[in-house]
Amino acid sequence: MHRFILIIILIIIKNEIKMSEEKVIVANKGLVRADFAFWVGQYLDKFYDGLENKKIMGNKCPKCGDVFVPPRKICGKCNIVIPLEENWVDLPETGTLMNFTTTAYRVNDRTSRKAKDWTIGMIQIDGSNTSIIYRLLKMELEDVKIGMKVQIEWSEKTKGDPSDIKGFIKV
Amino acid sequence: MGRQVAIASAGFSEHASKRSDVSMPELVSEAIEDCLKNAPSVELGDIDAFVNGNMPAFEGANIPELWMTDWMGARNKPLLRVTTGGTTGGSVAIAGYYNVTAGLPGVDTVLAVAFEQQSQGDTSVGLASVAYGEISILNTLGVSYDQLSRLLSAGAAIGVAAYQATTYMNKTKTHEEDLARVVVQNRRNAAKTWWAHLKMPNLTIEDVLDTPYVQYPLRYGMVCPASDGACAMLFTTEEKAKDMCDIPVYVNGVASVANETAVLGYDGSGSAQVDPSMQLGAIRSAELAYSQAGISFPRKEIDYAEVYAPFPNQELMWTEKLGLFEEATAPEMYKAGVTAVNGELPVNCSGGVNSTNAIGASAMERPAEAALQIMGKASNQVPKTVHTSIGSGWGGSLNLITLMAMSDQPQRKWR
Repeated sequence: MHRFILIIILIIIKNEIKMSEEKVIVANKGLVRADFAFWVGQYLDKFYDGLENKKIMGNKCPKCGDVFVPPRKICGKCNIVIPLEENWVDLPETGTLMNFTTTAYRVNDRTSRKAKDWTIGMIQIDGSNTSIIYRLLKMELEDVKIGMKVQIEWSEKTKGDPSDIKGFIKV
Repeated sequence: MGRQVAIASAGFSEHASKRSDVSMPELVSEAIEDCLKNAPSVELGDIDAFVNGNMPAFEGANIPELWMTDWMGARNKPLLRVTTGGTTGGSVAIAGYYNVTAGLPGVDTVLAVAFEQQSQGDTSVGLASVAYGEISILNTLGVSYDQLSRLLSAGAAIGVAAYQATTYMNKTKTHEEDLARVVVQNRRNAAKTWWAHLKMPNLTIEDVLDTPYVQYPLRYGMVCPASDGACAMLFTTEEKAKDMCDIPVYVNGVASVANETAVLGYDGSGSAQVDPSMQLGAIRSAELAYSQAGISFPRKEIDYAEVYAPFPNQELMWTEKLGLFEEATAPEMYKAGVTAVNGELPVNCSGGVNSTNAIGASAMERPAEAALQIMGKASNQVPKTVHTSIGSGWGGSLNLITLMAMSDQPQRKWR
């Protein structure tokens, strides 16, 4: 079962109160690390199994026909449960770039400013009604156009998590 | 004047220590499915507004109600999140009641959902964030953090319950066997409840007393588990409830009162300063809810009670404080079987919080189960007819007590 771990650092405030001329000084000193994790559930589990085998799987709402990538238990539009064993759709590796942006920073890494900007974008996998956000690889910013066709660049070694898709490249 | 509110249905998800087969929204959707199964004529589209809540910071995911909007069927509908620590579920239920009684145009039917998936996070750290109200009081007095952790001893809720237990036991001259007896009743009841967590049909008092202390006088075998689970309740108007279910359960009184500001005796307010088992907040909650509901003699008029009690001493203490038994007589009542399923006043036939504790959901599971007992749809249904029942909650960093009084008859006296 896939479980993503997010480490949150809680700062427990150790108050040091120094009373001088009615000034109160509070200093943060203690640090406590705490692990949180998220069960992804059976629908996403199947999706990540697919990624491990370099396959994109979505599921289809039996009522409105919307195809979800990643798959989900409930179609919010129709308020119905999509059964776990049914309505799975194998989707291609190709998609359409819906929009894009560039980012100078990485999460939790202020030094990355020195590195080259990343171009990231929302990609609608062909045959699906949702978008996923990934890096756009091997292309100059000038070449990136909304509506262009892109395809998945897989990681060399897949492990059944979102990083199995390295990014998207031009078709 | 508010409208009469009725509970049309209530439902649960399966509870376990690790529901690793579902994500948080999927867990919640299970409770909603079960809730709507009990009211077959209702569809998600018929629900006008939603209330949602869990403990803050327990899973490390804030505003989860937005994550699970689609999973609740709340897309494009009014949605409110309520979170009040351990009483979250009780407050969510009360907020569901408020939503209906307020009589807003277009808001007749409200789904209230409370949940917790504790296996995802660190409960002690979550509790630390909730208990900061207390910690800050000590910090203000110059008590440093390392001294403080010693005072809280085992930490978390048991650090509070142990003081309640020792004062209660000293006052009432009760023993550990009396605590164990409560646990045995709860865990055996849980065995007959489909959604419960700790099911122990053959548990004995000796088994419980054979486990080591976590914090005197509470032993490992007496302490509630940490569960993953969810609960949902459907509130609606008197008129609509009659179409939705056979026996609507009318909510006739609600209260949520905090009084026990000090757990450790440092702060200058609240009854807990000298006697943690005094529980003026619970007494006041009961007064408020019973007067709204027109209950004059709770001991006589209440047929069934779900009392929030993660630890057995609390069940004894609160059954007294909520007016179900005379002071210091609860242990005798448990011994005599008054609180058993076939007893005169059955208490916690679901196994209670002592057997299942998905914290954010627990305080809602009490009124939910108490309502199902009136409907005759409870998993471990009592043989006698239940006309009036109560469901309580305890928690918050400052000992908040929530209470909901329900009946099969609408109460119009106070309107």
